[in-house]
Amino acid sequence: MTADLDTASSGKQESAAQRVSGGRVPPPGISFRDRLSRWDFKYSPYLYVAPFFIIFGIVGLFPLLYTAYVSLFDWELIEDSPSFVGLENYVLLFSDPQFWRTLVNTVSIFLLSSIPQIIIAILLAAMLNTRLRGPTGWRVGILMPYVASLVALGIIFANLFGPKFGLVNGILETFGLERIDWQANRFASHVAIAVMVNWRWTGYNALIVLAAMHAIPKELYEAAIVDGAGAIRRFFSITLPLLRPTLIFVVVTSTIGGLQIFTEPKLFDAMPGSNNGGSTNQFQTITLYMYQSAFEDQDFGYASAIAWALFVIIILVALINFALTRRLASTGEEQ
Amino acid sequence: MTTIGLPFPRRARAGNGAGGRLGRASFWIYGLLIAFVLGSAFPFYWSFLVASRDNSMLTERIPPLIPGGNFLANAQRAFELSPFWKALGNSVLVSSTVAFSTVFFSTLAGFAFAKLRFRGRNVLFVFVVATLAVPTQLGIIPLYMAMSEFGWANQLQAVIVPNLVTAIGVFWMRQYTVQAVPYELIEAARVDGCSMIRVFWHVCLPAVRPAAAFLAMFTFMTSWNDFLWPLVVLNADNPTIQVALEKLQSGYFVDYSLVLAGTTLATIPVLIVFIVLGRQFVAGIMQGAVKG
Amino acid sequence: MRQQRRRVFTRTAALAGATMLVAACGGSGGDSAENGGQIELTIGTFTEFGYEKLLTEYEAAHPNIKITHHKTGEGGPYHQTLFTKLGSGSGLDDVQAVEEGHISDVLAKSSLFHNLEEIGPKNVTADRWLDWKYQAGKAKDGSLIGYGTDIGPLAMCYRKDLFKAAGLPSDPEAVKPLFETWDSYFAAGDKFVRATDKVAWFDSSAQIFNAMQNQLDVGYFNRDDKLTIETNPRIRQNWQQVTAAVDRGQSAGLVAFSNEWTSGFKSGSFATKTCPSWMLGVVEESAGPGNNGNWAVTDAFPGGGGNWGGSFLTVPQQSEHPEEAAALAAWLTAPEQQMKAFLAKGTFPSQVKALESKELLDTTSEYFGGVKMGQLFADQARKVTEAQYKGPGDGKIQENVIAPALASVEQGTPPQQAWDKVVADAEKIAR
Repeated sequence: MTADLDTASSGKQESAAQRVSGGRVPPPGISFRDRLSRWDFKYSPYLYVAPFFIIFGIVGLFPLLYTAYVSLFDWELIEDSPSFVGLENYVLLFSDPQFWRTLVNTVSIFLLSSIPQIIIAILLAAMLNTRLRGPTGWRVGILMPYVASLVALGIIFANLFGPKFGLVNGILETFGLERIDWQANRFASHVAIAVMVNWRWTGYNALIVLAAMHAIPKELYEAAIVDGAGAIRRFFSITLPLLRPTLIFVVVTSTIGGLQIFTEPKLFDAMPGSNNGGSTNQFQTITLYMYQSAFEDQDFGYASAIAWALFVIIILVALINFALTRRLASTGEEQ
Repeated sequence: MTTIGLPFPRRARAGNGAGGRLGRASFWIYGLLIAFVLGSAFPFYWSFLVASRDNSMLTERIPPLIPGGNFLANAQRAFELSPFWKALGNSVLVSSTVAFSTVFFSTLAGFAFAKLRFRGRNVLFVFVVATLAVPTQLGIIPLYMAMSEFGWANQLQAVIVPNLVTAIGVFWMRQYTVQAVPYELIEAARVDGCSMIRVFWHVCLPAVRPAAAFLAMFTFMTSWNDFLWPLVVLNADNPTIQVALEKLQSGYFVDYSLVLAGTTLATIPVLIVFIVLGRQFVAGIMQGAVKG
Repeated sequence: MRQQRRRVFTRTAALAGATMLVAACGGSGGDSAENGGQIELTIGTFTEFGYEKLLTEYEAAHPNIKITHHKTGEGGPYHQTLFTKLGSGSGLDDVQAVEEGHISDVLAKSSLFHNLEEIGPKNVTADRWLDWKYQAGKAKDGSLIGYGTDIGPLAMCYRKDLFKAAGLPSDPEAVKPLFETWDSYFAAGDKFVRATDKVAWFDSSAQIFNAMQNQLDVGYFNRDDKLTIETNPRIRQNWQQVTAAVDRGQSAGLVAFSNEWTSGFKSGSFATKTCPSWMLGVVEESAGPGNNGNWAVTDAFPGGGGNWGGSFLTVPQQSEHPEEAAALAAWLTAPEQQMKAFLAKGTFPSQVKALESKELLDTTSEYFGGVKMGQLFADQARKVTEAQYKGPGDGKIQENVIAPALASVEQGTPPQQAWDKVVADAEKIAR
């Protein structure tokens, strides 16, 4: 992963970067100005990235290391004398059927949400990338779900997917179909939650892709048209490969966000405020389980172990996805 | 690319004109987009419907589609029951500070990661991305300890400082800059004797404007809707808007028309920001298009 | 290791104390906090305690005290914040309200709270409250952690019209035999379900089971904090009785306080509801004006009586002014003040004198056919004999183990399988 999150043509760019950032041999007897300029090129990058690392050091790293430390203790949320247990929390975790159940739920909801989401987002971006009347209006329109308050979201989706009085089941019955218990049926509950996730995030991802599409120089398209390439061909051989950095961003962030999914399953539970994820934990996700362990069971040590297990899983899946996306988006270019 | 000559259907070509962003939107595209926007807007309209009527609407099998006349009365109650104006002021302050700062620092760091070479660049960047994978919900307790150590509990800094720059912002700006800023331009500016910060200002910044505007919108909204952390760290007498709205859901029986009147009111400022920055977003794109 | 951690916490606590002072000075527009003998107190509550006017009154009577009221809407986030701040060692209010369902967790951490018998006004004694309420605020070591505020004595609500249609008695006096014991309750349920179409006897099996469970001597833990779920046969019997009733179609299978549950009131999906005093308002709002006159309440409850809900006021060790805080809490929980809170927001008082006050006894509910609800619930409150001992984790077992398991039975899981999960999950919480 350290190698590059760059575009494929990194070789050329590396050499350019070399030139840009002071790889040049300074002439003998350099002036003060030149020296200043060299320092500028050598050290200013660190200055530019420093704010992030300072902030992260305070608000990210401390909590992270603190939870790692806590995960080695039998530590209640309110505890005067936690006892050191080594890796026992992790041993317990791997033999905890609820942990595996929540892992399966998380992956299932993640797949049901992120795959359709990314495909629809790219298509939506392609549609928005045509000459439209009132472009701002359309963009605002599709990003609107992101503004919706979570309170409103919870109320609305609970109403839509209510097993007995919900609108969706009402429609199913009108068409003579069986009503579905969106709460009790494990798979149905995952579908309903995925709908909620997709509703909230598809527009957001579409706009990200759209912004990247706009950065593609139009000369490339013009040349392709001269060569007689059709719209679909142009999409696969120009747009998609050049979108690669952005697609990597979308895939990696939605992997990470998807595996941490928390708000939607929490809001979906019929029991208000519950962290159970349904009556048999049928849609409890890992993050929800972690949250419940920390704040309801007040088992801070165990919750920290869940957090770290989740952290490792996410890194692994993100790496796999990253590799897949690189291959996927580069095939077009190699043709 | 030169040998491509597949027989694509005539209509697709004609409909899309010159292709890419030059294409003119067809009837079908408008149809699909309208469907999407309606789907996106429906819950807002639905919230407004409940806010303009009363709770009983929620128990109707087929809800009515015409607003009732109670919206102003419900809004009035929302104003009375929560410190709405103070919360609104706090939220505007917090969200715009966070949005501005995140965009600035992320763009800067994104530029460095994308276009400058320095020792440890890749390792540091992977580290940035890895920080995204830290589950935030558990950070609340240590973060609260840190904040009270700084003496920031119950103060707005506590919700501003942790979000001054985010990993997702740095990641996004970096990915966009990689693609949007040609090395040739940087090289040219550098040959002209520009300092690094001037290269950033005059070359990088204009090219990444659409992405920056998007990041600003996105950050503003995320901050605006943040609930869990402000609820813990801020007191009820100095709240952000989401914390203030929470107060409306008190009692064993929740008055949803009141709650949704509050959330509808709280959404209006975001929509304004949205439209203003949305224009920037589009303007940036247009500029980019001219520049080629 | 231990010492080190304790030191961190003490330091954090000390710092936070200083911080809160600074924050208070900065925040409240230039009051001279400590200088002129001024004391700033904060009080944290959730939902409606009806304290707004009372706090102003207290400030007027005590010119040296300024009170800031931190009010949270829902109990869920409120208690989570409370425990977060307990865990991180700072940030709590001087007076902190705790709900009945969470009090066992607080009592288990009694060292983090003041003993109100020590620091509270000496004229406040046990006889102010109903005995069971007073006992419920005491930790195992005997220290008093919370002054009782309000209670939720249980009665039975039922649909008069549906009872009549099913051929059951419908007059509040005549229905009492149906609600005498749980056996008679479920037997009447069978009769009702046979006579009607598509209407259930009760809303949710978890609601019924909780009421039965609360009538046992000890909760899910005995006084040695050992799990009773397998050792006390009554728990298993209750479980079998309730799940059997579900099997016979007596439950509407609605999750309490969900949207669908609210809709269930309106469409008349069930005929009886376990009714603590505060439930009358919920029924009225949920069922709506269309059902005016259909609901009634009677002063009977299967198996005796019971309580559901109500709160306590506590003073955390973090408080800078514990004695002043305790004095405020004592004043707020005096019978006169709780009566005013009752009149403002309907919180049913737990104080002996308040329960005898004429104003309370004369309170009626129009929606429930003009019943003298004040008198009715005061009587029900006195039927509760003893506070059930609830070990740490009791509330969690009820909310996160039993309630979901019963919901799963309503959704079709075999009762035995659900019971096995109950045992396993309860053991995990007890661990």
